[in-house]
Amino acid sequence: MSRITIPIGPQHPALKEPISFLITVEGEEVVDGDLRIGYVHRGLERICQKRSYVQAVHVVERVCGICSHIHATIYCQGVETLLDLEIPPRARYLRTLLCELERIHSHLLWLGVLGENIGFTTVFMYAWRDREIALDIMDELSGGRVLHAANVIGGVGIDLDEEQIHSALTRIEDLERRMETFLGVIRNEQTFRTRTQGVGRLTKEEMRDHCVVGPVARSAGVDVDLRRDAPYAAYDELDFSVITAEGGDVWAGAWVRGQEVVESLRICRQVLEELPDGPISTRARRRVPEGEVVSRGEAPRGELIYYIRSDGSDSPARVKIRTPTLPALLVFPLQLRGITTADVPTVMSGLDLCIACADR
Amino acid sequence: MNIDRILDVFRAELSLDSLEVRDVPDDETIVALPSEEIHRAVHLLVERFDLRHLSTITGVDIGDEIELLYHFWAGRGLTLRTSLPKEDPHIATLTDVIPGASFYEREVWEMLGVTFDGHPNLQRLFLPEDWGEGSLPLRREEEK
Repeated sequence: MSRITIPIGPQHPALKEPISFLITVEGEEVVDGDLRIGYVHRGLERICQKRSYVQAVHVVERVCGICSHIHATIYCQGVETLLDLEIPPRARYLRTLLCELERIHSHLLWLGVLGENIGFTTVFMYAWRDREIALDIMDELSGGRVLHAANVIGGVGIDLDEEQIHSALTRIEDLERRMETFLGVIRNEQTFRTRTQGVGRLTKEEMRDHCVVGPVARSAGVDVDLRRDAPYAAYDELDFSVITAEGGDVWAGAWVRGQEVVESLRICRQVLEELPDGPISTRARRRVPEGEVVSRGEAPRGELIYYIRSDGSDSPARVKIRTPTLPALLVFPLQLRGITTADVPTVMSGLDLCIACADR
Repeated sequence: MNIDRILDVFRAELSLDSLEVRDVPDDETIVALPSEEIHRAVHLLVERFDLRHLSTITGVDIGDEIELLYHFWAGRGLTLRTSLPKEDPHIATLTDVIPGASFYEREVWEMLGVTFDGHPNLQRLFLPEDWGEGSLPLRREEEK
Protein backbone atom coordinates (compact mmCIF):
# COMPACT_ATOMS: atom_id res chain seq x y z
CA MET A 1 0.00 0.00 0.00
CA SER A 2 1.36 3.44 -0.85
CA ARG A 3 2.42 5.86 1.84
CA ILE A 4 0.78 9.25 2.19
CA THR A 5 2.08 12.09 4.36
CA ILE A 6 -0.63 14.27 5.85
CA PRO A 7 0.24 17.71 7.22
CA ILE A 8 -1.84 18.64 10.28
CA GLY A 9 -1.60 22.15 11.68
CA PRO A 10 -0.31 24.68 12.61
CA GLN A 11 -3.99 25.63 12.69
CA HIS A 12 -5.42 22.71 14.48
CA PRO A 13 -8.31 20.30 14.61
CA ALA A 14 -7.30 18.74 17.93
CA LEU A 15 -5.33 21.33 19.87
CA LYS A 16 -5.95 24.99 20.54
CA GLU A 17 -2.37 26.03 19.98
CA PRO A 18 -0.21 26.19 16.85
CA ILE A 19 1.95 23.15 16.17
CA SER A 20 2.50 21.36 12.90
CA PHE A 21 2.52 17.58 12.56
CA LEU A 22 3.46 15.48 9.57
CA ILE A 23 1.76 12.12 9.85
CA THR A 24 2.74 9.38 7.38
CA VAL A 25 0.08 6.73 6.89
CA GLU A 26 -0.25 3.44 5.04
CA GLY A 27 -3.99 3.04 4.69
CA GLU A 28 -5.36 3.37 8.20
CA GLU A 29 -2.07 2.74 9.95
CA VAL A 30 0.31 5.49 11.01
CA VAL A 31 3.89 4.54 10.15
CA ASP A 32 5.79 7.71 10.94
CA GLY A 33 5.36 11.15 12.42
CA ASP A 34 7.31 14.35 12.65
CA LEU A 35 6.56 17.78 14.09
CA ARG A 36 7.50 21.42 13.80
CA ILE A 37 7.17 23.93 16.62
CA GLY A 38 8.16 27.56 17.06
CA TYR A 39 5.02 29.28 15.77
CA VAL A 40 4.61 31.09 19.08
CA HIS A 41 8.28 31.61 19.88
CA ARG A 42 8.43 35.05 21.45
CA GLY A 43 12.04 35.17 22.57
CA LEU A 44 11.02 35.53 26.22
CA GLU A 45 14.47 34.57 27.52
CA ARG A 46 16.05 37.51 25.75
CA ILE A 47 13.19 39.79 26.82
CA CYS A 48 13.82 38.85 30.49
CA GLN A 49 17.48 39.75 30.06
CA LYS A 50 16.49 43.22 28.92
CA ARG A 51 14.23 43.85 31.92
CA SER A 52 14.92 44.29 35.61
CA TYR A 53 14.45 41.34 37.97
CA VAL A 54 11.16 42.82 39.13
CA GLN A 55 9.80 43.38 35.63
CA ALA A 56 10.86 39.89 34.56
CA VAL A 57 8.41 38.38 37.09
CA HIS A 58 5.61 39.57 34.84
CA VAL A 59 7.37 38.39 31.69
CA VAL A 60 7.85 34.82 32.91
CA GLU A 61 4.26 34.67 34.07
CA ARG A 62 3.32 34.98 30.42
CA VAL A 63 5.34 31.96 29.28
CA CYS A 64 2.26 29.78 29.72
CA GLY A 65 -1.42 30.53 29.47
CA ILE A 66 -2.42 27.68 31.78
CA CYS A 67 0.27 27.36 34.42
CA SER A 68 1.36 30.99 34.74
CA HIS A 69 1.80 31.01 38.50
CA ILE A 70 4.35 28.19 38.69
CA HIS A 71 6.64 30.06 36.26
CA ALA A 72 6.65 33.16 38.43
CA THR A 73 7.09 30.98 41.54
CA ILE A 74 10.13 29.12 40.24
CA TYR A 75 11.67 32.32 38.88
CA CYS A 76 11.13 34.26 42.14
CA GLN A 77 12.45 31.33 44.12
CA GLY A 78 15.65 31.39 42.05
CA VAL A 79 16.12 35.13 42.51
CA GLU A 80 15.42 34.79 46.24
CA THR A 81 18.12 32.11 46.45
CA LEU A 82 20.56 34.48 44.75
CA LEU A 83 19.56 37.21 47.21
CA ASP A 84 19.86 34.73 50.10
CA LEU A 85 16.37 35.74 51.15
CA GLU A 86 14.02 33.69 53.29
CA ILE A 87 10.36 34.38 52.52
CA PRO A 88 7.69 34.34 55.28
CA PRO A 89 5.82 31.06 55.91
CA ARG A 90 2.47 32.60 54.97
CA ALA A 91 3.87 33.54 51.55
CA ARG A 92 5.15 29.99 51.03
CA TYR A 93 1.70 28.60 51.82
CA LEU A 94 -0.11 31.05 49.55
CA ARG A 95 2.27 30.24 46.69
CA THR A 96 1.57 26.56 47.23
CA LEU A 97 -2.18 27.13 47.22
CA LEU A 98 -2.12 28.83 43.83
CA CYS A 99 0.25 26.20 42.42
CA GLU A 100 -2.20 23.46 43.37
CA LEU A 101 -5.31 25.30 42.16
CA GLU A 102 -3.47 25.75 38.89
CA ARG A 103 -2.74 22.04 38.72
CA ILE A 104 -6.41 21.25 39.32
CA HIS A 105 -7.55 23.62 36.59
CA SER A 106 -4.86 22.39 34.19
CA HIS A 107 -5.68 18.70 34.70
CA LEU A 108 -9.44 19.27 34.37
CA LEU A 109 -8.90 21.31 31.23
CA TRP A 110 -6.83 18.42 29.88
CA LEU A 111 -9.50 15.87 30.78
CA GLY A 112 -12.04 17.96 28.89
CA VAL A 113 -9.85 18.19 25.80
CA LEU A 114 -9.27 14.44 25.90
CA GLY A 115 -13.01 13.83 26.28
CA GLU A 116 -13.73 15.97 23.26
CA ASN A 117 -11.08 14.24 21.15
CA ILE A 118 -12.30 10.73 21.93
CA GLY A 119 -15.85 11.78 21.07
CA PHE A 120 -17.01 11.76 24.67
CA THR A 121 -18.48 15.26 24.77
CA THR A 122 -20.16 14.76 28.14
CA VAL A 123 -16.77 14.47 29.83
CA PHE A 124 -15.67 17.63 28.03
CA MET A 125 -18.74 19.56 29.19
CA TYR A 126 -18.58 18.38 32.81
CA ALA A 127 -14.80 18.73 33.16
CA TRP A 128 -14.82 22.29 31.87
CA ARG A 129 -17.83 23.17 33.99
CA ASP A 130 -16.11 21.91 37.12
CA ARG A 131 -12.80 23.51 36.17
CA GLU A 132 -14.64 26.80 36.66
CA ILE A 133 -14.75 26.07 40.39
CA ALA A 134 -10.95 26.17 40.56
CA LEU A 135 -10.92 29.28 38.38
CA ASP A 136 -13.48 30.96 40.62
CA ILE A 137 -11.37 30.33 43.71
CA MET A 138 -8.32 31.80 41.96
CA ASP A 139 -10.36 34.74 40.71
CA GLU A 140 -11.55 35.49 44.23
CA LEU A 141 -8.05 35.12 45.58
CA SER A 142 -6.05 37.12 43.08
CA GLY A 143 -8.52 38.91 40.81
CA GLY A 144 -7.39 36.88 37.80
CA ARG A 145 -8.56 33.56 36.42
CA VAL A 146 -5.31 32.58 34.73
CA LEU A 147 -2.81 35.39 35.22
CA HIS A 148 -2.60 36.09 38.94
CA ALA A 149 0.38 38.43 39.36
CA ALA A 150 0.52 36.99 42.87
CA ASN A 151 4.27 36.58 43.19
CA VAL A 152 6.71 39.27 44.07
CA ILE A 153 10.38 38.77 44.78
CA GLY A 154 10.36 38.20 48.53
CA GLY A 155 6.90 36.69 48.87
CA VAL A 156 3.42 37.26 47.48
CA GLY A 157 1.34 40.35 46.91
CA ILE A 158 -2.07 38.91 47.77
CA ASP A 159 -3.57 37.84 51.05
CA LEU A 160 -6.64 35.92 52.19
CA ASP A 161 -9.14 36.90 54.86
CA GLU A 162 -11.32 34.53 56.89
CA GLU A 163 -14.28 34.95 54.58
CA GLN A 164 -12.26 34.05 51.49
CA ILE A 165 -10.83 30.99 53.24
CA HIS A 166 -14.31 29.84 54.16
CA SER A 167 -15.60 30.37 50.64
CA ALA A 168 -12.63 28.53 49.10
CA LEU A 169 -13.10 25.58 51.46
CA THR A 170 -16.76 25.28 50.50
CA ARG A 171 -15.86 25.23 46.83
CA ILE A 172 -13.11 22.68 47.38
CA GLU A 173 -15.56 20.39 49.15
CA ASP A 174 -17.85 20.67 46.14
CA LEU A 175 -15.03 19.83 43.75
CA GLU A 176 -13.93 16.87 45.87
CA ARG A 177 -17.41 15.35 45.43
CA ARG A 178 -17.38 15.93 41.71
CA MET A 179 -13.95 14.35 41.31
CA GLU A 180 -15.41 11.04 42.51
CA THR A 181 -17.61 11.08 39.42
CA PHE A 182 -14.66 11.76 37.11
CA LEU A 183 -12.56 9.01 38.66
CA GLY A 184 -15.54 6.69 38.24
CA VAL A 185 -15.78 7.57 34.55
CA ILE A 186 -12.06 7.06 33.98
CA ARG A 187 -12.08 3.73 35.82
CA ASN A 188 -15.37 2.19 34.70
CA GLU A 189 -16.81 3.84 31.64
CA GLN A 190 -16.52 1.51 28.66
CA THR A 191 -16.27 4.22 25.99
CA PHE A 192 -13.50 5.97 27.84
CA ARG A 193 -11.49 2.81 28.38
CA THR A 194 -11.88 1.50 24.83
CA ARG A 195 -10.67 4.72 23.30
CA THR A 196 -7.69 5.26 25.60
CA GLN A 197 -6.35 1.92 26.84
CA GLY A 198 -3.26 0.72 25.01
CA VAL A 199 -3.18 3.88 22.89
CA GLY A 200 0.16 5.71 22.64
CA ARG A 201 1.86 3.26 24.96
CA LEU A 202 5.42 4.06 26.06
CA THR A 203 7.69 2.06 28.33
CA LYS A 204 9.42 3.35 31.42
CA GLU A 205 12.76 3.03 29.62
CA GLU A 206 11.55 5.15 26.69
CA MET A 207 10.34 7.80 29.10
CA ARG A 208 13.66 7.87 30.91
CA ASP A 209 15.75 7.85 27.70
CA HIS A 210 13.89 10.90 26.42
CA CYS A 211 13.98 12.71 29.78
CA VAL A 212 10.16 12.89 29.87
CA VAL A 213 8.75 14.43 33.06
CA GLY A 214 5.53 14.87 34.98
CA PRO A 215 2.29 12.90 34.72
CA VAL A 216 3.29 11.44 31.34
CA ALA A 217 6.40 9.86 32.86
CA ARG A 218 4.56 8.89 36.06
CA SER A 219 1.93 7.08 33.98
CA ALA A 220 4.67 4.62 32.97
CA GLY A 221 5.98 4.17 36.50
CA VAL A 222 8.72 6.83 36.65
CA ASP A 223 8.37 7.75 40.31
CA VAL A 224 9.55 11.37 40.29
CA ASP A 225 7.74 14.41 41.63
CA LEU A 226 9.76 17.46 42.61
CA ARG A 227 7.17 18.49 45.18
CA ARG A 228 8.26 15.45 47.18
CA ASP A 229 11.82 14.91 45.89
CA ALA A 230 13.10 18.49 46.00
CA PRO A 231 10.51 20.32 48.07
CA TYR A 232 10.02 24.03 47.55
CA ALA A 233 7.40 26.53 48.78
CA ALA A 234 5.53 24.73 51.62
CA TYR A 235 5.50 21.19 50.22
CA ASP A 236 7.79 19.71 52.87
CA GLU A 237 5.21 20.61 55.53
CA LEU A 238 2.21 19.14 53.74
CA ASP A 239 0.92 15.61 53.44
CA PHE A 240 0.25 14.25 49.94
CA SER A 241 0.98 11.20 47.80
CA VAL A 242 2.77 10.98 44.48
CA ILE A 243 0.63 9.10 41.98
CA THR A 244 2.18 6.64 39.56
CA ALA A 245 0.70 4.01 37.28
CA GLU A 246 1.86 1.25 34.97
CA GLY A 247 1.15 1.08 31.28
CA GLY A 248 2.26 4.43 29.93
CA ASP A 249 -0.81 4.75 27.69
CA VAL A 250 -3.36 7.56 27.48
CA TRP A 251 -5.62 5.81 30.00
CA ALA A 252 -2.81 5.59 32.58
CA GLY A 253 -2.18 9.31 32.04
CA ALA A 254 -5.83 10.06 32.73
CA TRP A 255 -5.80 7.91 35.85
CA VAL A 256 -2.67 9.61 37.18
CA ARG A 257 -3.99 13.12 36.50
CA GLY A 258 -7.41 12.35 37.94
CA GLN A 259 -5.91 11.16 41.20
CA GLU A 260 -3.48 14.03 41.24
CA VAL A 261 -6.41 16.44 41.27
CA VAL A 262 -7.69 14.67 44.37
CA GLU A 263 -4.25 14.99 46.00
CA SER A 264 -4.10 18.66 45.01
CA LEU A 265 -7.46 19.26 46.64
CA ARG A 266 -6.08 17.64 49.78
CA ILE A 267 -3.11 20.01 49.67
CA CYS A 268 -5.38 23.04 49.16
CA ARG A 269 -7.47 22.01 52.14
CA GLN A 270 -4.37 21.66 54.34
CA VAL A 271 -3.02 25.03 53.21
CA LEU A 272 -6.31 26.80 53.90
CA GLU A 273 -6.78 25.14 57.27
CA GLU A 274 -3.20 25.56 58.46
CA LEU A 275 -2.35 28.91 56.89
CA PRO A 276 0.29 30.48 59.17
CA ASP A 277 -0.18 34.03 60.41
CA GLY A 278 2.29 36.76 59.71
CA PRO A 279 3.54 38.96 56.89
CA ILE A 280 3.21 37.94 53.24
CA SER A 281 6.46 39.35 51.94
CA THR A 282 9.89 40.62 52.92
CA ARG A 283 11.72 43.48 51.34
CA ALA A 284 14.09 42.47 48.56
CA ARG A 285 17.01 44.45 47.22
CA ARG A 286 16.78 45.48 43.58
CA ARG A 287 20.38 44.64 42.79
CA VAL A 288 21.13 40.95 42.88
CA PRO A 289 24.64 39.82 43.87
CA GLU A 290 26.74 38.03 41.28
CA GLY A 291 26.00 34.33 41.06
CA GLU A 292 24.03 31.61 39.38
CA VAL A 293 21.17 29.37 40.40
CA VAL A 294 19.23 26.42 39.06
CA SER A 295 15.64 26.60 40.25
CA ARG A 296 13.28 23.67 39.79
CA GLY A 297 9.66 22.91 40.52
CA GLU A 298 6.80 20.66 39.56
CA ALA A 299 4.48 22.40 37.10
CA PRO A 300 1.18 20.66 36.21
CA ARG A 301 3.02 19.02 33.28
CA GLY A 302 6.17 18.12 35.23
CA GLU A 303 9.61 19.42 36.02
CA LEU A 304 10.07 23.09 35.22
CA ILE A 305 13.61 24.45 35.35
CA TYR A 306 14.96 27.99 35.41
CA TYR A 307 18.64 28.80 35.20
CA ILE A 308 19.33 32.39 36.28
CA ARG A 309 22.72 34.08 36.15
CA SER A 310 23.38 37.40 37.76
CA ASP A 311 26.25 39.79 36.99
CA GLY A 312 25.57 41.96 40.02
CA SER A 313 23.29 44.44 38.26
CA ASP A 314 19.52 44.92 38.55
CA SER A 315 18.71 42.81 35.49
CA PRO A 316 19.52 39.14 34.89
CA ALA A 317 22.51 38.30 32.67
CA ARG A 318 20.88 35.05 31.51
CA VAL A 319 17.52 33.42 32.10
CA LYS A 320 17.06 29.96 30.66
CA ILE A 321 13.65 28.31 30.82
CA ARG A 322 12.91 24.68 30.04
CA THR A 323 9.27 23.77 30.22
CA PRO A 324 7.97 20.22 30.67
CA THR A 325 6.29 20.03 27.26
CA LEU A 326 9.56 20.07 25.33
CA PRO A 327 10.69 16.51 26.20
CA ALA A 328 7.11 15.27 25.77
CA LEU A 329 7.19 16.47 22.16
CA LEU A 330 10.19 14.24 21.61
CA VAL A 331 8.27 11.04 22.32
CA PHE A 332 5.21 11.99 20.29
CA PRO A 333 6.55 10.45 17.03
CA LEU A 334 7.29 7.20 18.94
CA GLN A 335 3.72 7.06 20.23
CA LEU A 336 2.31 7.43 16.75
CA ARG A 337 3.91 4.38 15.21
CA GLY A 338 1.49 1.55 14.63
CA ILE A 339 -1.69 3.32 15.75
CA THR A 340 -4.65 4.03 13.47
CA THR A 341 -5.50 7.50 12.19
CA ALA A 342 -8.56 7.63 14.45
CA ASP A 343 -6.28 7.48 17.49
CA VAL A 344 -4.01 10.33 16.41
CA PRO A 345 -6.07 13.06 18.20
CA THR A 346 -6.19 10.88 21.33
CA VAL A 347 -2.40 10.62 21.39
CA MET A 348 -2.05 14.34 20.66
CA SER A 349 -4.21 15.28 23.60
CA GLY A 350 -2.88 12.48 25.80
CA LEU A 351 0.50 14.18 26.18
CA ASP A 352 -1.10 17.40 27.47
CA LEU A 353 1.07 19.55 25.23
CA CYS A 354 1.37 23.23 26.02
CA ILE A 355 2.87 24.72 22.91
CA ALA A 356 3.21 28.30 24.15
CA CYS A 357 5.23 26.89 27.04
CA ALA A 358 7.49 24.85 24.81
CA ASP A 359 8.08 27.71 22.37
CA ARG A 360 8.54 30.50 24.91
CA MET B 1 22.90 10.79 43.91
CA ASN B 2 26.26 10.42 45.62
CA ILE B 3 28.16 13.40 44.32
CA ASP B 4 31.49 12.39 45.89
CA ARG B 5 31.46 9.02 44.15
CA ILE B 6 30.69 10.71 40.84
CA LEU B 7 33.59 13.11 41.30
CA ASP B 8 35.92 10.22 42.19
CA VAL B 9 34.94 8.42 38.99
CA PHE B 10 35.49 11.61 36.99
CA ARG B 11 38.96 12.02 38.49
CA ALA B 12 39.87 8.40 37.80
CA GLU B 13 38.43 7.99 34.31
CA LEU B 14 38.74 11.36 32.61
CA SER B 15 41.97 13.00 31.50
CA LEU B 16 41.92 16.09 33.68
CA ASP B 17 44.59 18.34 35.14
CA SER B 18 42.29 19.40 37.93
CA LEU B 19 38.60 19.32 38.65
CA GLU B 20 36.83 22.55 39.47
CA VAL B 21 33.81 21.85 41.65
CA ARG B 22 31.42 24.42 43.09
CA ASP B 23 28.33 23.93 45.22
CA VAL B 24 25.59 26.47 44.72
CA PRO B 25 22.53 26.85 46.96
CA ASP B 26 19.58 24.53 46.71
CA ASP B 27 21.46 21.29 46.24
CA GLU B 28 23.26 21.96 43.01
CA THR B 29 26.87 21.05 42.21
CA ILE B 30 28.57 22.62 39.22
CA VAL B 31 31.53 20.75 37.76
CA ALA B 32 33.72 22.36 35.11
CA LEU B 33 35.10 20.01 32.46
CA PRO B 34 37.01 20.47 29.19
CA SER B 35 34.67 20.26 26.19
CA GLU B 36 36.29 17.10 24.79
CA GLU B 37 35.57 15.23 28.05
CA ILE B 38 31.83 16.05 28.27
CA HIS B 39 30.68 13.10 26.18
CA ARG B 40 32.81 10.64 28.15
CA ALA B 41 31.63 12.16 31.44
CA VAL B 42 27.97 11.84 30.49
CA HIS B 43 28.61 8.29 29.31
CA LEU B 44 30.00 7.53 32.79
CA LEU B 45 26.98 9.13 34.46
CA VAL B 46 24.63 6.95 32.45
CA GLU B 47 26.61 3.71 32.64
CA ARG B 48 27.86 3.80 36.23
CA PHE B 49 25.19 5.80 38.00
CA ASP B 50 22.12 5.37 35.81
CA LEU B 51 21.87 9.16 35.86
CA ARG B 52 19.99 9.85 32.66
CA HIS B 53 17.76 12.77 33.43
CA LEU B 54 19.14 15.72 31.51
CA SER B 55 16.85 18.61 32.43
CA THR B 56 18.19 20.93 29.76
CA ILE B 57 21.28 22.47 28.22
CA THR B 58 21.85 26.18 28.80
CA GLY B 59 24.05 28.12 26.42
CA VAL B 60 25.48 31.46 27.52
CA ASP B 61 27.48 33.92 25.45
CA ILE B 62 30.07 35.24 27.90
CA GLY B 63 31.87 37.54 25.49
CA ASP B 64 34.82 35.70 24.01
CA GLU B 65 33.49 32.22 24.68
CA ILE B 66 30.25 30.26 24.62
CA GLU B 67 29.53 28.49 27.87
CA LEU B 68 27.43 25.33 27.94
CA LEU B 69 25.74 24.01 31.07
CA TYR B 70 24.32 20.51 31.14
CA HIS B 71 21.78 20.33 33.96
CA PHE B 72 21.23 16.82 35.34
CA TRP B 73 18.93 15.84 38.16
CA ALA B 74 18.53 12.75 40.33
CA GLY B 75 17.37 13.70 43.79
CA ARG B 76 19.71 16.68 43.61
CA GLY B 77 21.17 18.74 40.81
CA LEU B 78 24.44 18.21 38.94
CA THR B 79 25.52 20.68 36.29
CA LEU B 80 28.44 20.05 33.94
CA ARG B 81 29.98 23.26 32.68
CA THR B 82 32.23 23.65 29.67
CA SER B 83 33.25 26.50 27.41
CA LEU B 84 33.88 26.64 23.69
CA PRO B 85 35.70 29.19 21.54
CA LYS B 86 33.31 31.65 19.93
CA GLU B 87 34.79 31.12 16.47
CA ASP B 88 33.24 27.93 15.09
CA PRO B 89 32.23 26.22 18.38
CA HIS B 90 31.99 22.42 18.19
CA ILE B 91 31.17 19.70 20.71
CA ALA B 92 30.19 16.03 20.49
CA THR B 93 26.46 15.32 20.58
CA LEU B 94 24.92 13.50 23.54
CA THR B 95 22.02 12.09 21.54
CA ASP B 96 23.75 8.68 21.20
CA VAL B 97 23.84 8.36 25.02
CA ILE B 98 20.72 10.35 25.96
CA PRO B 99 18.19 10.61 23.09
CA GLY B 100 16.38 13.28 25.13
CA ALA B 101 19.23 15.73 24.43
CA SER B 102 18.07 16.16 20.84
CA PHE B 103 15.82 19.21 21.19
CA TYR B 104 18.09 20.89 23.75
CA GLU B 105 21.04 20.67 21.36
CA ARG B 106 19.01 21.93 18.42
CA GLU B 107 17.98 24.93 20.47
CA VAL B 108 21.56 25.80 21.49
CA TRP B 109 22.63 25.33 17.86
CA GLU B 110 20.10 27.73 16.40
CA MET B 111 20.30 30.31 19.19
CA LEU B 112 24.08 30.38 19.73
CA GLY B 113 25.61 28.61 16.75
CA VAL B 114 27.20 25.68 18.59
CA THR B 115 27.55 22.67 16.28
CA PHE B 116 26.87 19.32 17.92
CA ASP B 117 28.97 16.82 15.97
CA GLY B 118 27.08 13.63 15.19
CA HIS B 119 23.58 14.98 15.91
CA PRO B 120 21.22 13.07 13.61
CA ASN B 121 18.93 16.02 12.80
CA LEU B 122 20.51 19.38 13.55
CA GLN B 123 17.73 21.59 12.21
CA ARG B 124 15.85 24.66 13.33
CA LEU B 125 13.39 24.11 16.14
CA PHE B 126 11.99 27.48 17.25
CA LEU B 127 13.16 30.00 14.67
CA PRO B 128 11.03 30.63 11.58
CA GLU B 129 12.09 29.14 8.26
CA ASP B 130 12.88 32.56 6.79
CA TRP B 131 15.05 33.67 9.71
CA GLY B 132 18.28 35.17 8.38
CA GLU B 133 21.09 32.70 7.79
CA GLY B 134 23.87 33.20 10.34
CA SER B 135 21.77 35.37 12.66
CA LEU B 136 22.08 33.91 16.15
CA PRO B 137 19.52 35.51 18.50
CA LEU B 138 21.22 34.81 21.83
CA ARG B 139 24.68 35.97 20.78
CA ARG B 140 25.84 39.26 22.27
CA GLU B 141 26.38 40.76 18.80
CA GLU B 142 22.63 40.59 18.31
CA GLU B 143 21.94 42.73 21.36
CA LYS B 144 21.72 45.93 19.36
